[in-house]
Amino acid sequence: MAKKKALVQEATEAQTVTETQAEIAAASTEATAKPSAPTEAAAKPSTPPKAEENLREPAEVKYAEELAWLESVDTGNKPFSWRLSPRMIRTFILGTQPGEKLARKIDQKFFGDATLVERAIVTLASDRGLLLIGDPGTGKSWLAELLAAAICGNSTHVVQGTAGTTEDQIKYSWNVALVISQGQSRDSMIASPMMKAMQLGQMGRFEELTRCTSDVQDALISILSEKYIAIPELSTNNVVFARPGFNIIGTANSRDRGVNDLSSALKRRFNFIHIPIVTNKKSEREIVMFRTRDLLRRNNFDIDVPAALMDILLQTFADMRESAAAAASDDQRLESSLSTAEQIGVLEDAILYGNFFGEKQLTANALARSMIGGLVRRVPEDLSVMNKFWHAVVEKHAKENKKDNTWKEFSEGGKSIMSDMSK
Amino acid sequence: MPQSQKSRTIAQDRFAPLRGQLLAAVQAFSQGTRTIDKMLAAIVDDMERATNEPVEIFPVAHHSPAAAIQILRRLQDGPTPKVIFVELCEDLQSVLPGLADCQLPIALQSFATETAGFPPDWSPLTVVAPLTEFSAEFQAIAYALSHPEQTQLVFVDRSVDHIFQWLPQQEGALAEALGHQEDEEGISEEANENLHGTAYGVQMGRMEPTFEGFQEVLLSNARVRHFSEWWDQYVESSIVGADYQTYREVMCLVGSLIRRLGQSKERLENDRKRERYMWARIKEHLAQHKLQPEETLFICGAAHTASDVDSFGTQTPHRDPIPPRTQTKWLYGIIPSSFRSIEQQFGMPDGTISLAENAWKRSQEALGLRSLGIKDIKDIKDTPQAKPAPKKSTKKTPAKADPTDKEDASSSPITSVSTVPDVLGFLQRPPQLLEQDEEQLLRWCVEIVSMARENGYLASTADAIAIYQTAILLGRMRNRRHPSPYDFQDAAITCLEKDRTPKKRNVRRLCEILLGGDRSGHVGYSSLPPLAQDVYDRLSALPVTLKGKTVQRALMDFRQNPEYTACSDLLWRLHYLLGKNNSLIRPIMGERTLGQRALQESWDISIGKYQAPLIQLAYEGASIEQVLERRLLQHAFSSKARTVQALEATEDSLLYLEARRLTQRLGEHANDLLVQELGADAAQDIFERIRRLVHYYRSTPEGLPPWLQHFVATGYSHFSTMLPEAFSDRGTSPQQISGMLAFIFTLESLALSMGCERSQLMIAIKQSASLTQDPEKLGILWAAEWLLSVRDIDEIRNFFDHLLQNPLTLVAFPRYLDGFLLALTFTPLVSRLIVELLSKAFERLPDRVLMPWLPSLLMGLQPHRDTLLPSILQEVAQIYPKASKELDAWIAPWYRERRKRNAVIPTTIVQEIRPAPSVLSNEERNVFQLMADHPQTTDALAHLFGVATTWRSPETAEAPNISTASSVFHDEREVGAHALLRHHPQTTDALASLLRLPPSWPTEPTHAPSDLVSAMPHPNAVTEDLEPEAAAAAALLHNHPQALTALVKHLTN
Repeated sequence: MAKKKALVQEATEAQTVTETQAEIAAASTEATAKPSAPTEAAAKPSTPPKAEENLREPAEVKYAEELAWLESVDTGNKPFSWRLSPRMIRTFILGTQPGEKLARKIDQKFFGDATLVERAIVTLASDRGLLLIGDPGTGKSWLAELLAAAICGNSTHVVQGTAGTTEDQIKYSWNVALVISQGQSRDSMIASPMMKAMQLGQMGRFEELTRCTSDVQDALISILSEKYIAIPELSTNNVVFARPGFNIIGTANSRDRGVNDLSSALKRRFNFIHIPIVTNKKSEREIVMFRTRDLLRRNNFDIDVPAALMDILLQTFADMRESAAAAASDDQRLESSLSTAEQIGVLEDAILYGNFFGEKQLTANALARSMIGGLVRRVPEDLSVMNKFWHAVVEKHAKENKKDNTWKEFSEGGKSIMSDMSK
Repeated sequence: MPQSQKSRTIAQDRFAPLRGQLLAAVQAFSQGTRTIDKMLAAIVDDMERATNEPVEIFPVAHHSPAAAIQILRRLQDGPTPKVIFVELCEDLQSVLPGLADCQLPIALQSFATETAGFPPDWSPLTVVAPLTEFSAEFQAIAYALSHPEQTQLVFVDRSVDHIFQWLPQQEGALAEALGHQEDEEGISEEANENLHGTAYGVQMGRMEPTFEGFQEVLLSNARVRHFSEWWDQYVESSIVGADYQTYREVMCLVGSLIRRLGQSKERLENDRKRERYMWARIKEHLAQHKLQPEETLFICGAAHTASDVDSFGTQTPHRDPIPPRTQTKWLYGIIPSSFRSIEQQFGMPDGTISLAENAWKRSQEALGLRSLGIKDIKDIKDTPQAKPAPKKSTKKTPAKADPTDKEDASSSPITSVSTVPDVLGFLQRPPQLLEQDEEQLLRWCVEIVSMARENGYLASTADAIAIYQTAILLGRMRNRRHPSPYDFQDAAITCLEKDRTPKKRNVRRLCEILLGGDRSGHVGYSSLPPLAQDVYDRLSALPVTLKGKTVQRALMDFRQNPEYTACSDLLWRLHYLLGKNNSLIRPIMGERTLGQRALQESWDISIGKYQAPLIQLAYEGASIEQVLERRLLQHAFSSKARTVQALEATEDSLLYLEARRLTQRLGEHANDLLVQELGADAAQDIFERIRRLVHYYRSTPEGLPPWLQHFVATGYSHFSTMLPEAFSDRGTSPQQISGMLAFIFTLESLALSMGCERSQLMIAIKQSASLTQDPEKLGILWAAEWLLSVRDIDEIRNFFDHLLQNPLTLVAFPRYLDGFLLALTFTPLVSRLIVELLSKAFERLPDRVLMPWLPSLLMGLQPHRDTLLPSILQEVAQIYPKASKELDAWIAPWYRERRKRNAVIPTTIVQEIRPAPSVLSNEERNVFQLMADHPQTTDALAHLFGVATTWRSPETAEAPNISTASSVFHDEREVGAHALLRHHPQTTDALASLLRLPPSWPTEPTHAPSDLVSAMPHPNAVTEDLEPEAAAAAALLHNHPQALTALVKHLTN
């Protein structure tokens, strides 16, 4: 392994590297505190900080109570050290069905094909890693988080893949100060989130796998097949074995396809699950409402989106997707992927605007402003695409729905902001 | 029927526990509503009534292997029924004998091109009833056909005609019924793979709920994606092994549940109509043949057992009247079908039928049954039926409970062992599953991996293991004891599908292929209608296998194999009849046009796969030629047909059929139609076709046939007569007029030889002249007039020159020119004039007129690029200089002609203007003599000015140069020079005195300069050569008096 060479290098640029590592380590929860005592950490499930302290709670904290309840009623067969049985995980993610004999209602948290979730759960129970692949904003990371939370109660063993991700961040690195003072030992080693997940027998998550360069990605091969990480720098106790229950959930962006292709060796160790863009209006409406409520709860107000505005939002997005699909070149398309996440962003923005600067309620005008403000990224290309779309499609709707003034207001609002932008 | 007898006697006791249990379930789970209670009771009542009915009702579901297995066992083991009533359109029964030579799946088809009483946009109407081997209806049909002496088969459902009668009679209603996925009986889209075309599908025992809400609850509760998956898991797989009575009862229960809860209102209404119809037919049949109801079997969809119509059952005498059919003439036949077509037709998810076939084969093996197939129908004489003992599968392994519906599911945990084979016991027992699933799953896992590898996936044994593991985990998770094919499919996709599909097929498709794949049926030769048989016979000479399911390429070299010519003729006829875009045959090389015979042709033939269009064609006649003849006659003689259509049919008859009499008839009809033709809109088209036909016939030894000669004569006089009206009518476009004139002029010689008179045309043309003001039409008219020598070319030219001078009128110039361009279609002679006019247009038209016109000019010329442009270009090449060097000295020929004429004009002017031919005075004569005697000076001077000199003797010279120059003013500068000389007379006086001439100045120029200017046609045009130079000479003389002085000195010396 090139690890030794890397170590020499590391020693020279010691300070900076250690800092980054430390940061990443700190980013994970307090399981980091005692990396050398995995058993203890596993025995005592993570007790995350209290809700008020965090901007965004991980799924296992947010739904801690629900998970605990499900665990208490779960009689099914649990693979490895999973907290819940596969069927309960499905119930946790997809919500209860009336036919299920459960005493309380569990809300649906991921909106999509049930088969897809089932396949994902089953993959994690098998020998292979799970790679969720799909367009940006389709809920890949959210599903990964939910799965990790339901399976092992900790969704924070995350490696974020970037162009600058190195192999150290996947395997381990060294606390240079400790190495200098005490020499190389397990104590002076900084375990990566992935290694921690292995030690704890939990789910490791790798976000945006395809953003990393291929050689870095390949560090996962041995983790996925041999299920251990060797530490050649140490002479004894130099292998970290994965405990049962460890697996990897990766996410990859299908828009990045071809940038850093997975090697075929890695491909075979992952099961790919494609997450499609939701095109079913009914479920899309649910997703948008669900997420927007969720996000706005942070600002401590609940909102009521008028059904007509919701229809407008969904219809406009559906129309935009249609025209994007029909467009001949990238210049005739908006840069945005027009995913559900974008819709949520638009709605949230409109609500916030209305609440802080407007009439305390959502108006069609504000929705149009947020939509155009949010989706027009390149000027003039996006603006002209939007202008064309607005006059061809939105105007038509406004004319068709004469009785309802909302469309008209929406259309006018959009036009006014577009003319402001083109000044 | 021991079992059913028993059930009837102890019915009350038997169903009591079931009722009790259902009631208990209601009390336990519902919040005090009594409706569920009532409904559940009604379901049991329905079942009871159906099982007590003397006619043995056999409930089925569509393409359900379980139903097929059960009916097979019933027919082989139970008492032989005298009559089997089947819920299929009664009129489709007539085609059943044709089944003998087919390969399943096929579809019974009914077809009507001309309809009576239905909205016109519905036609043609098609109905298909697909049959697969694993359907109860087919097994019953096969049984009845192979035991004709014991069992009679009667289709009792409404006729094909009624299907359409019962649709709302509006335009678009049919499209809705065909296109609506959830609607009663499915859809059909124009897909490549669909062998049914746009047909209305009929299927027995369609179970899928049409009430959306119900279906949604059902599916989400069972965590399945499609109704067929639900059916397979919860009903199908558990009742395959059940005993006959239980099967019937369970199916009745399910049917009743779905009918009561899951159907939309329209569907229910339609069902009721059908049930009334069916029971009326059954009772009618029983009464006619004096049969006991107990001797008969009625196969119908499970939902119909819960019918609430009055006439249900033989115990009520109530019988509804049978509604009459419409006058529509229906044709019947058998067409091949395929699994995929059936799935598309009925909106099932892909692969459903393949899976059903798979299940059918498996259960057959497990139960040791031998199914009835086409073979049994074929060799009816081989009566000894293989009747293996129906060994009830002894391996009854305990498995999961069968929640037939959610209420039943709730009741399943309570177990009570009952000894009587009753439905409650069955519902409480775990279903008996067929063994050997394990082995099959393993085999699938291995096979899918090897298939994936062949299709470019990186798959290995490790994947096979992973698929197996995943499939089992998925099955567990979905509450299945053993993974279903759906689980296997999901597992394979999970483990094999990566980020892209390497080759054509993805894993889902591969799974479908593995689990059976598409299978398409075939209608055997002897089952084909005569026309199709004839086609097969005649194409057998070709070196292709007509039965092959792939596309076959037929290469034909007619020199080597003259016998292929007949095949080629047939193929062309078929190609014409089936339309250009048919999937049956496609010409790759070779084409058929008038007067041309290809030496080689090649065709793509896939008759083996797409038999259906051929069979439909066979409904129309006994041979291809007959159908073709009828089509052509229809085309030409239809009430909407006009001359063009008739001519088209005539041409096609020449191309595809060698039937001179038919051609003659069609041609004569075209002639008749031409006389009735009121407008000129088709003139162009008629002309093109007639010209083609005339050219073709001239190349044949027989020459023009009489009809064509008549047609030309009729056309000549018809179009001549119509000319004035066409010119005056604003609705007639110039193009149409040019088409008419093209016909007249091009075919004139022929028409004149047929006795037409040119005077007719002359009168028409003269008459037209006063009728139109439209510049384009005038352009055409003048061209025609010029051609007939009524109009002079100079007249036209002058008109345009005049037109171009007036800025208000020159705007119209392009439109005239357009007219002339159109005239090119009937005479190439105008091309010279067109070139002239075009050149002038480019020369003189201002940009504001020229530019907007250019695109329309280009667009106007574009369609004629092969015909008209060459002649224009040829003309241009003759007129314009070849090299750019010559361009400087080049003068357009039309100006050259003008100059020739102008050269005459000045002399006449001179003669007119001059007061009298002046007699030279003596002094003048002397000077002239002097200059003539010493010509060097003047010559030198003239040479200096670049002027050629000619010397005449003073006697002959009537108008000497000098005096002419001084007395006639043709140019402004000349006038100016003259004025100047007059104002400064000293020079001239000096010269004169030297020359000893008396100074004699006219007081005024004889012509006002403005007159002279207005006489000029164009300011830049060069009209005369000499005068400007003379003026220049005068000016020069004036400007350089030294020269004159020197000259005078020299002269005096």
